[in-house]
Amino acid sequence: MFNRFTKGARGVVEDAVEIARELGASQTEAEHLLLAAARRDDPTAVVLRGHGLDYDGLEAALEAETGRSLAAVGVSAERPRFSPFPNKPRFATSAKSALEGALKAATERSDRHIGSGHVVLGVLRPTRGTVPRALGLAGVDQEELRQAVSTVA
Amino acid sequence: MIDLATPEDPADGLAAVVALRRLTEQLEAAEVERAMRTGWSWPEVAEALGVTRQAVHKKHAKRLIAAGVELRRR
Repeated sequence: MFNRFTKGARGVVEDAVEIARELGASQTEAEHLLLAAARRDDPTAVVLRGHGLDYDGLEAALEAETGRSLAAVGVSAERPRFSPFPNKPRFATSAKSALEGALKAATERSDRHIGSGHVVLGVLRPTRGTVPRALGLAGVDQEELRQAVSTVA
Repeated sequence: MIDLATPEDPADGLAAVVALRRLTEQLEAAEVERAMRTGWSWPEVAEALGVTRQAVHKKHAKRLIAAGVELRRR
């Protein structure tokens, strides 16, 4: 699956795993791919930053999404602090779907290579779940963002 | 304090499930670490969690050793 991935896209995938581990996540999720993409130095990251989604902005949006979702059932909690797990967190369904989405995005556009932009397009495909909700809370129009990323991917 | 409300929109209820799963995992990591740092043994932590000693050890031992936590043998 990864043989068509560019160096940048591979970097996003590797960084996402490390970000998930550092954040204490038990699995690598789609949002970790987006966090990794936001931290890079390429046109896709510039588009994300242009929408207020630098790493910190995105992390804040994800925190807000968690807080709001917990509040919906009347739970409020500080994020627990603990030493991270040493093992690499495996890919969750959301991350696997995002990578499949990256492949689909490339196929649709007849792009031979899959870059970090395609990975972000894969992450931005679903309309439900953590990422769409976090983007909504951050006031980001997901479809507009998808199109903006599409022009540089 | 937990006061389970029922959200109107199922999207909020389902997102709460996701957030609670994440919170449970993180809370377990934090509380097991806190217990072990204050001298609890693996069997005590396992009993409190209602899981086997092997399960809790397998999940957390490497992490706590890497973090330099002094672990009681029994």
